[in-house]
Amino acid sequence: MSIALDQVTKRYQDQPVVNDVSIEVGEGEFFVLLGPSGSGKSTLLRAIAGLTGIDHGRISLHGKDVTHVRARDRGVGLVFQNYALFRHMTVADNIEFALRVRRMKAAERRARRQELLKLVALQGMDERLPGQLSGGQQQRVAVARALAHKPQVLLLDEPFGALDLKIREELRRTIRAVQRELGITTVLVTHDQEEAFALADTIGVMNHGRLLEVGHPNDLYAQPATRFVATFLGAANLLLARQTADGIRFGTTPVNAEGSEPVQAGRQHEVVAVLRPEEVEVAEKREQLTSDFIARGSVEEIVFTGALERLRVRLLDEPSAAQLLGSGAAGDARVEITRTQPERRELPLSTGTQIALGARRLHVLPTPISSFLACAPTEAQAAELAKEPLLESLSTRMKTRVGLRAIDGLVGRPDPFAGVAAIAAGPDAGPTVEWLIRHGAAEVLVLPRNAPSPTRVFIHWTDEAVRRATLAVSASLLRHVNAEAVYLGIVADDAASAGRAAPMRQLLDARSEAHTDHGLEMRTELAIGETVTALTRNLSAGVTQMLVLGITEITEAGSAYSSLLAAQPGWPVLIVYRPAEARITPEIAA
Amino acid sequence: MKNVGRREPNVIPGFGITLGFTTFFLCAIVLIPLAALVLKAAGMDWERFVAVIASPRALASYKLSFGASLIAALVNMVFGFAIAWTLVRYDFPGRKIIDAIIDMPFALPTAVSGIALTTVFAGNGWIGQYLEPLGIQVAYTWIGITVALTLIGMPFVVRTVQPALQEVQRDLEDAAETLGAGRFYVFRRIIVPTVLPALLTGFALAFARGVGEYGSVIFIAGNMPMKTEITPLLIVIRLEEFDYAGAAALGVVMLAISFVMLLAINLLQVWGRKRTFVR
Repeated sequence: MSIALDQVTKRYQDQPVVNDVSIEVGEGEFFVLLGPSGSGKSTLLRAIAGLTGIDHGRISLHGKDVTHVRARDRGVGLVFQNYALFRHMTVADNIEFALRVRRMKAAERRARRQELLKLVALQGMDERLPGQLSGGQQQRVAVARALAHKPQVLLLDEPFGALDLKIREELRRTIRAVQRELGITTVLVTHDQEEAFALADTIGVMNHGRLLEVGHPNDLYAQPATRFVATFLGAANLLLARQTADGIRFGTTPVNAEGSEPVQAGRQHEVVAVLRPEEVEVAEKREQLTSDFIARGSVEEIVFTGALERLRVRLLDEPSAAQLLGSGAAGDARVEITRTQPERRELPLSTGTQIALGARRLHVLPTPISSFLACAPTEAQAAELAKEPLLESLSTRMKTRVGLRAIDGLVGRPDPFAGVAAIAAGPDAGPTVEWLIRHGAAEVLVLPRNAPSPTRVFIHWTDEAVRRATLAVSASLLRHVNAEAVYLGIVADDAASAGRAAPMRQLLDARSEAHTDHGLEMRTELAIGETVTALTRNLSAGVTQMLVLGITEITEAGSAYSSLLAAQPGWPVLIVYRPAEARITPEIAA
Repeated sequence: MKNVGRREPNVIPGFGITLGFTTFFLCAIVLIPLAALVLKAAGMDWERFVAVIASPRALASYKLSFGASLIAALVNMVFGFAIAWTLVRYDFPGRKIIDAIIDMPFALPTAVSGIALTTVFAGNGWIGQYLEPLGIQVAYTWIGITVALTLIGMPFVVRTVQPALQEVQRDLEDAAETLGAGRFYVFRRIIVPTVLPALLTGFALAFARGVGEYGSVIFIAGNMPMKTEITPLLIVIRLEEFDYAGAAALGVVMLAISFVMLLAINLLQVWGRKRTFVR
């Protein structure tokens, strides 16, 4: 590995700006760190360069631990967005700076300089001052300067940010060519997905200080695992669908989708499907569609962008068919569609035209949290609950909706629950959770009043059978809050002497599964004693904590854990229920 | 293409009017009084002129005026830079207050600073009483004059260097560090060269101000002819003797030197701008 980051965390005033990030970049690889501003990507790059210290974790370059090595001894080349050229020095002096520092002889310096100027196509510019060069030329000089001392690693911090489009593309090509020619391991930071696609061998997407997904550009685009990556890499329509034993359905319409996992017969759950604008098929009538019908719509806006035509279409039969996430209220859902010129010529459209929409390709996100459903005795109380700050911030960050449901008196048979049910904490919370699970809810979020966004999330499950589900839900949750994840393993008192090997192995298994399957970095802690006591003790140790609890027995919530749900002032608890029959999965049997 | 031939709109309209104002005020408050000064001096014949400006007392006063100003400006260049550095690079409680105190010498009547310094540095003053036993006499010697001029010139250096330092982006230091440079190397090769034009400008301003300073110096100088008598004081003495022509002659010498120095300052600034802002 050329660059290896192991659980790197950097905090500013106790807020993690880089949160438990582990990355491995191979020899000669072009790695692009992509994320919105404030996602921690630049901080991470500065940490690799050694300009910013880290609070936790390890950084190695070519197998050598450099966590505590000063920037000047790390042997990296760094290129800045604003070039950071030494303006009082000529191009030649700028490029030779690193060589002078190393007391290289003048003749060798000159030879190296010529070599570098040729590499970035700036021959003959030696005696110019940076102020006499254009922005693109200055950035070329900066690249040459960063490469002068033959660094093992080249780091680029938004190098094209200050340039206009034409020059940007030209410089992009130069950098890619230089990188290929030298075979130098490169990390580039950008917020521009087009740039990332154009340059990267591998893309790592960051948000809120966390590394969400790492992968080949194509794979990330076609099969994103998180809604953030789905919407940040290119445009995406997010749709709510139902996953049943016989496939994905929008309302009553079954559709084909990739990435969906089979569910147990009899149960169904809600999933989030990604529909790329270019994968939407448009036809006059439903029968003319060659792909699966999703909804009817009315053309609202047509924008001509040259190669493509962009349509905004309001869905007509929502919410009976597709439910759209992220935009407006129900009945006001709009789908973004792009069409190529040949498609446009085939079926010219004008605003107001009614059309049928089909999905050529639909990708189901593996995220287990699709939407929220605020449940309270009355609709008004449910609306009140939906305004809880934590629920509001979660639904906003997840670009999803909070439905309302009155569950008066816990009697009768309600409609099937979709998404994560949310209820208020209190003495009745235990029985309510039990009732909800009995009636089909798989995840229940118990919210104390005005609970703040957590900074630490404890994860615990009572049975290895729910490990997988609990980890998936935790990972999904943690992608949308700035918190550290801690798996709490609990060993009963009497078992302490009997041997701790098994729990320790479970702990490590859990950690590696969280990392490999969900990209979730979590700390592990081992507590000894009775489960509820241990959980309460750990939750009480800080101010803004939260618990994700996996259970297999429906009655557990109502009895054993009800004290956790009733505590004052209390903590948000997310209960994940999976029946124990799911135990027969290969990786647990092994 | 419609705008060809039209002048660029400007925030303040009327090039003609503004140039007129500039010329008028320059004439009224700068050029005419100076011309009068030169005319007055020109009323003397050449030999007397030379006799006045090259008299041993006058020469001693030039030496003191320019020497003390030079030392004071050099001291200011070092400490003014340090103050500016501290103010720009660090945030600490009371930074704003210290930033404001820097300007005090601008606002304080110079006589007040002179008297205050004399009180502090006199043989029985707060600081003077400790320096006296060491054989260092500050008040009523050239050292005292230098101290006064340092105080007066300090804000010039701080205020010119401060913005220049603010422009030295952290990125430059970071870049140099990743290229392998140590701290001292970065300071010597990156920071100093970048702020050098501003530092030289501040130095020249402080120096020029020192040469022209009168109020604060006369209290601490003791004003002994040939020893602690600065040129501006000599001019005032000539005036009190009703030797207007003699005063004007000395004035012309000061004027010539000031002009040369201000020209040098301007050239420095032009040079500095060329080095850093050519587009």
